[in-house]
Amino acid sequence: MVEALGSLAMSNVLRPYLAAVRSTLTAALTLENFGSQVVERHNKPEVESASSKEVLLNPLTISRNENERVLIEPSVNSIRLSIKIKQADEIERILCNKFTRFMMQRAESFIVLRRKPVAGYDISFLITNTHTETMLKHKIVDFIIQFMEEVDKEISEMKLSLNARARIVAESYLTAVSNCLT
Amino acid sequence: MDTAFRKIDIDIYDEDVLQESELYEADPRDPAEVLEDAKQRAAHVRSLLAKNDIPGALTVILDNAPYGPNVDDAKIITLQTLLTILNTTKSADIPGVIKALSLDTQDTLMKYLYKGMAMPGWGDISGSVLLGWHEKLTEVAGVGCIVRTMTDRRIV
Amino acid sequence: MILLEPHNVIIQTTILEKIQKPGSLDVVFVDYDNVRFHLSTPERKTVLLLSMNIRCWDELVQYGALDILRREYGSLLATQVEPEYNVSLEIDLEQVPTDAESREAFVTSLALLKRNALAAPFERGFDTQKQLESAGGQGELMQIHYRDEEAMYIQAAPDRVTVIFSTVFREETDRIFGKVFLQEFVDARRQPSIQNAPQVLYSSRDPPLEIRHVPGLRNSEEIGYVTFVLFPRHFTKSVAPSTISHIQLFRDYLHYHIKCSKAYMHSRMRHRVTEFQKVLNRAKTEVATTERKTASGRTMLSR
Repeated sequence: MVEALGSLAMSNVLRPYLAAVRSTLTAALTLENFGSQVVERHNKPEVESASSKEVLLNPLTISRNENERVLIEPSVNSIRLSIKIKQADEIERILCNKFTRFMMQRAESFIVLRRKPVAGYDISFLITNTHTETMLKHKIVDFIIQFMEEVDKEISEMKLSLNARARIVAESYLTAVSNCLT
Repeated sequence: MDTAFRKIDIDIYDEDVLQESELYEADPRDPAEVLEDAKQRAAHVRSLLAKNDIPGALTVILDNAPYGPNVDDAKIITLQTLLTILNTTKSADIPGVIKALSLDTQDTLMKYLYKGMAMPGWGDISGSVLLGWHEKLTEVAGVGCIVRTMTDRRIV
Repeated sequence: MILLEPHNVIIQTTILEKIQKPGSLDVVFVDYDNVRFHLSTPERKTVLLLSMNIRCWDELVQYGALDILRREYGSLLATQVEPEYNVSLEIDLEQVPTDAESREAFVTSLALLKRNALAAPFERGFDTQKQLESAGGQGELMQIHYRDEEAMYIQAAPDRVTVIFSTVFREETDRIFGKVFLQEFVDARRQPSIQNAPQVLYSSRDPPLEIRHVPGLRNSEEIGYVTFVLFPRHFTKSVAPSTISHIQLFRDYLHYHIKCSKAYMHSRMRHRVTEFQKVLNRAKTEVATTERKTASGRTMLSR
């Protein structure tokens, strides 16, 4: 019960942030097939190749604070979404690092995941017109939002479990050493 | 062998290449004039805020807001003034205030919300206040308003 | 299993098995801290030779390891040490105690070979403390380099014996996890139930005062120092053996649990990523696959 209340309180704080990401991402996901203007018979995500200014739109940032923000870079045939995940301390930093690394190594099964994050962010997604044509757009948005929701939760749970384990380990050891006294 | 020629940016000699200035029509006014204008508006907003006329204050600051290059000072003053309006408005009043604005003013407000969120930690920017406004504004003006922020080259 | 056992399970089970059914044998195996064992029957099926190679043997001998092994194993200690090993025990299976209980105890004591060898500096430290109680002064700082880059330091004082471990955290994750664990060791003593436990101090990077003068200490981010302060109540005659067993396994215990945590994190991530995968898969549109047939009625298969 307490746990349920806790997650409810958290989601209430997070809700406007996630709502803003959701609406911005929905707005950006109007992609169409678009061949390169520079090279004949090339068809590349324009947000990555950046070969022409007129097909790039204004990048938008959604932020809660300096440590939690999302950058959405739209273009005519692709968008790039980068997330900076909250990291309160050294432990969260290393856990976040491990988690995002773990995911990015499996980028091919995550189709929309970019193998490297954009500088200044922890993880990036690249969604192209091919993705929006073969997948349901609102479900892609759902996926991103759910990822953002759960990644915070997962990192804080991992941290708690690490602390709990450390406590048990220390206590059992010291109990074993001091038990022989009694 | 001389390889310096490889570094020459040949694109600038291309007549078809698209220039930044061709994407939108620049503000015809002189930067100094724009700055003066922004200062006057800031003063006007303060008097309107004293009368608690929030929609009026927003309209004053957002209509014909400075855009384009060379007017950074005016943009900063406008952003600061806008932030005071946003931060002082009670969250229950926000939907009513937004509905009282014209469509163009709503679009400019959206531009400023994103501008503010892109600079977390600057001045008195509060992420939760901006997110609150963003949510209400999206409810009233729809996703189209966000699309217009993305596509309008007249960056504030 | 939370606590590690001080005895070697392979020695225990193999010897018990051979007592039941003697047979020729030649096994090489390892224990913590790169300790190597060789258990063989070089001459007869009924005489086992158990040899151990331990990195810090010379240091241990200096601190009286041979006396302790002689005390524990007596005539079992082979005069001729097997080449490449430091110490050998000769076990005649025909002279093993016959009743189950003392046989069990005998085999367990054999399995404690490594623990007994490493106990030497501890026992010497505890004895020195007794002498210093009246004489005063500081005991010799005993250094045991039981791993390539990690060492154990034991020093007696009139009222205490200090045991210091240096330990290397080879990667950043280990370093941070190690910090969390060691902090808990420091904090756990606040619990009333374990207030009697030895005091634990932890410092990363800077070596503690006691060993600061020792040459060759590296000052780097990845090194941590853990100090145990043992008071006489921790090593009275009855509890000293158990204290020694626990303290000497501290480094292995710590690293074992760091590895366990990492493994757990990994399995958690694996699970969470599969969940994310499912969410993303829901976005994929179903491609209707209907059976296609040729004019002659055969089914077309895609290869």
